[in-house]
Amino acid sequence: MALDFSIFVEYGPRLLMGFWLTIKIVIAAIILGMPWGLVLALGRRSRFLIPRLAATSFVEIFRNTPFIIQVFLFFYVLPFYGIRFPAEYVGTLALAAFGSAYFAEIIRGGIDAVSKGQLESARAIGMSDWQAMKNIVLPQTLSIILPPLTNQTLSLIKESAILSTITVNELTMSGIRVQGEIFRPFEVFIMVALLYWGFNESIAFLMRKIERKANKARTSNQNIAGKTTSISRGASR
Amino acid sequence: MMMEETKKQDNFLQLKDITTTFGSIVALNNVNFSVKKGEVVCLIGPSGCGKSTLLRTANWLTPPDKGTVSLDGVLVGSESNKNMNLNEMKVLNGIRARMGMVFQQFNVWPHLDALENVVRAQLVVAKRSREEAEKKATKMLFDVGLGEKIHDWPDNLSGGQKQRLGIARALAMDPVLMLLDEPTSALDPELVSEVLNVLKRLANEGMTMIIVTHELGFASQVADRVAFMEDGKIIEEGPPNVILKSPKTQRLRLFLDKLNITSFTPS
Repeated sequence: MALDFSIFVEYGPRLLMGFWLTIKIVIAAIILGMPWGLVLALGRRSRFLIPRLAATSFVEIFRNTPFIIQVFLFFYVLPFYGIRFPAEYVGTLALAAFGSAYFAEIIRGGIDAVSKGQLESARAIGMSDWQAMKNIVLPQTLSIILPPLTNQTLSLIKESAILSTITVNELTMSGIRVQGEIFRPFEVFIMVALLYWGFNESIAFLMRKIERKANKARTSNQNIAGKTTSISRGASR
Repeated sequence: MMMEETKKQDNFLQLKDITTTFGSIVALNNVNFSVKKGEVVCLIGPSGCGKSTLLRTANWLTPPDKGTVSLDGVLVGSESNKNMNLNEMKVLNGIRARMGMVFQQFNVWPHLDALENVVRAQLVVAKRSREEAEKKATKMLFDVGLGEKIHDWPDNLSGGQKQRLGIARALAMDPVLMLLDEPTSALDPELVSEVLNVLKRLANEGMTMIIVTHELGFASQVADRVAFMEDGKIIEEGPPNVILKSPKTQRLRLFLDKLNITSFTPS
């Protein structure tokens, strides 16, 4: 079977429209999901029972059920309660909720990785729990959580393909529709895959840059001394 | 001096009937302990005797199961408000800001440079302007001998420098009381004196201090009172030349003997 890429002269714009929607949905889901993930992570370590229980339940439910089922529930169940949004919005919300459960666990892991003495010294000097988090603990989690955060973002981009099952005309759905009209599955899905790959690579590239910047601040004028202290810090206690 | 005033001064910091348990371990067993204004008290005792826990009770970092703590007549915490509401928490944070704490592991903040380590709590907790906070921080860093290091990262500082940074950070909050938890135990021997010199200066300036330490020589020089703890209780306390030279209890005698053997240096 000879590949004929000339079909994209006519059908390329439709794929690109879908691609653009995928980009918008994923970015919106991250913008919603990351802060919500932070709220969930802090909720899980709250000293009050109710926020702790609520945050834990949310994370456990969204982490332990298939994303496609969550999408169906959002799409078919919400209208029963009079909540009607266009499919793209419902899909974005579902993706944000799903992503936030993972973001929450990543952030929580980052917080736990910062030594307990850091939070203690901040509390001892009179900072409230939130002031201590914001000024002392969270900035130190950044370089720890960036790599897993990148992973989760990439997987969210790929999961967004599932939104095609609820009529969202994103990249995968556009591909399915175009292929349904011209019966050229090879060309169409190779192109779809290439577009996802390009998107993921760009995000990964961007995150690597941010990572380097986050690490640079403290490593610029530290070399061997920095290494020995981090080892001794790990060994103490 | 008025009678009442004397009384208040005697109990500048007061820990009353403190009992703390960790699971089945009794860390503090009905301890009563108070400190006068301007007094320097050294807590000594074998590891696990509860001296760090007692120190951490003073600023409610380790809330006890029973007992109350007050500073200058103001309640820091009591067992009845163990689950503090936000308002009580706010009051506690205000009190904590005036109790400088210094940790064995320094706990300086590695993502902030030396100056910012000393500035941050002044901004966030004491609500000072950045200009004022930086001025104060610079002075504090000079005072502890880190004038050349104000823009260095903590990871580039030696242990002794880190600890002095930790002390400067606490002093910038204008504390009325300093709590020091084995400030020199994590230091290489040759770095101990630079930290102790800073503490001696503070003692001479009249700072009220509680110091958990194993440095008996230092304790005998700066302490007004030494308290020996074992098994969650204060066994013996008094002026250092009495306590360290002629201990009354067998337990303290044994403890001192052990320390003297380990610190023995052949001439």
